[in-house]
Amino acid sequence: MKIQVAIILLEVVLIVLALAVYLIATIIQLFKINAGLDVVLPAVGEIVAKTAPINGVLDAIVKNLVTARDALEGLHLKKAGADAAGLVESVFPGEGANFLRRVGRSGKVVNVGTVYTRGVGILASLGRGAPIGAAHTKGPAVRDPKYSTTAASMLYPRPGGARSRPKSPVVGREVAHSPYEEALTPGERPRDATGRHVEAAPPAAPGGQADGGDRPPAAGPAPPPPPTANRITSAKGTRPWER
Amino acid sequence: MDPDIPLWLMVIVLAVVIPVLAGLLKGVLKAATSIPPKIDAIAGVAAAASKDLDAVVILLTTQNYISQITGSVLNYGGSLNVALPDY
Repeated sequence: MKIQVAIILLEVVLIVLALAVYLIATIIQLFKINAGLDVVLPAVGEIVAKTAPINGVLDAIVKNLVTARDALEGLHLKKAGADAAGLVESVFPGEGANFLRRVGRSGKVVNVGTVYTRGVGILASLGRGAPIGAAHTKGPAVRDPKYSTTAASMLYPRPGGARSRPKSPVVGREVAHSPYEEALTPGERPRDATGRHVEAAPPAAPGGQADGGDRPPAAGPAPPPPPTANRITSAKGTRPWER
Repeated sequence: MDPDIPLWLMVIVLAVVIPVLAGLLKGVLKAATSIPPKIDAIAGVAAAASKDLDAVVILLTTQNYISQITGSVLNYGGSLNVALPDY
């Protein structure tokens, strides 16, 4: 036998040996894969079976929610009118245009929150006569972004300007701070303490009391003379409740 | 021409083929070996997912609740429609 033939035979044997070793190992791995897939497939089948009714349930839920949304949006449009999209835009930025599209309207969405302050909107909704029509919805924003509070105050008429405030009264000098009400009949006492009418007082005697109108004419015993400073002999006074 | 030349050529060709064939078979075996661990992982995830989907049944209860809530909201809207003046 020639040496070349021997080498060829050896190489062929090596090739067959390599094929056998690797292919057998590959076959073993394929059996493992097959066994693994047998485990996976039932679990996947369970997932498919459990998720099958989800579509129907979610469709029903979405249908209910869409029905409620459409009804409420229709109510909102009916009650808020032209400001409906602006109100939606002020609460959910970017949804005003979607709201208009859903209700079949068109036009520019004016964010109510940039035109009116929150207080003005609330007052308007409560029917307090807020000047909600002070500016047209297609015009520039009424509220000044830099001086928003002043701009909101300017919506209401106030003498002296938006920032004017009434002056503080001086306590004790003005009638408004008197603890007593102003008498309707000053200097006269038409009724006594029991509510009975008091007859007109006689004209005051010369040198008499100046306040004659507030005392009944048929008075009883004369009151004790007022104590003077040089007659004080006791700490007690001379009035009945001090005796 | 020397009659041994074809034999030597055969020897050389086989000598080149053997490492190439061994490399290819090794690659196939490596790919096949890498699949079973991934299948085991998928089996674990699938079992856990199947267990998590047991809660899907609660969706039926949710559907009933949403249906009731929708009815209440619509009734409330009807009351508001009567109570509030139109624009």
